[in-house]
Amino acid sequence: MSLYVLEGLRPWVIQRVSAVYIVLFIIFATYSYFTADTIAYEAWKGWLYNPFNTTVTGIFVIAVLFHAWIGMRDVVLDYVHNIMLRIFIFGVFVGVLIGSGLWVFRILLLSVVA
Amino acid sequence: MTDNRPVYLNLIKIRLPLAGIVSFAHRISGVLLFLFLPFSVYLLDLSVQSAESFASVEQLLNQPLMLAVQILVLWSITHHFFAGIRFLLIDAEIGVEKSQARFGAWLVFIAEAIAMLLIIIGVCS
Repeated sequence: MSLYVLEGLRPWVIQRVSAVYIVLFIIFATYSYFTADTIAYEAWKGWLYNPFNTTVTGIFVIAVLFHAWIGMRDVVLDYVHNIMLRIFIFGVFVGVLIGSGLWVFRILLLSVVA
Repeated sequence: MTDNRPVYLNLIKIRLPLAGIVSFAHRISGVLLFLFLPFSVYLLDLSVQSAESFASVEQLLNQPLMLAVQILVLWSITHHFFAGIRFLLIDAEIGVEKSQARFGAWLVFIAEAIAMLLIIIGVCS
């Protein structure tokens, strides 16, 4: 298998591995929501800042960022044919994704700092 | 290659098979989820800052327009979820044959309708 083939296969694999993790996380999060005693501020914070939940949520965010990037990249490759416009849109998407990611990590790490 | 080939792409007249609708809706729902991402992070931030900001998230989400948006987000997640599982199974060569693929497409719509209904009932009760 040449490197060229691996280059094309890698996003395909990342898309599917992240999809499986996201499915498992959604099932876990939905289960947590419906088995929670109350949906209130303290209880919600307690859930999110439980070390296990912070960790699996952090991994979920990373999975979503990669998944969203590959998905949106494919959409742009299908519909936007002007190279300069493509590069511009990719830049905006990367900015939105990295910005959202850093923001979530700031939220998730607040409990560690505080 | 000559460029004056007859091109007939009347979008209204193209009848997508069910599997095609699942696929197209998977793409639409994915783009919607991407667009909702920054706003979701904003709500997450508000929800943990203080009891007051948590209450403001609840208040915001109870507005009629936001209820409609939440239905759209819920549809995007459930459709992307079930259609995604179907695509993963097809990658694993399960449900590739035409009649099975069509049955799978039906299952996606049935599963997402039931899941949406259960979640809406569960959240409201």
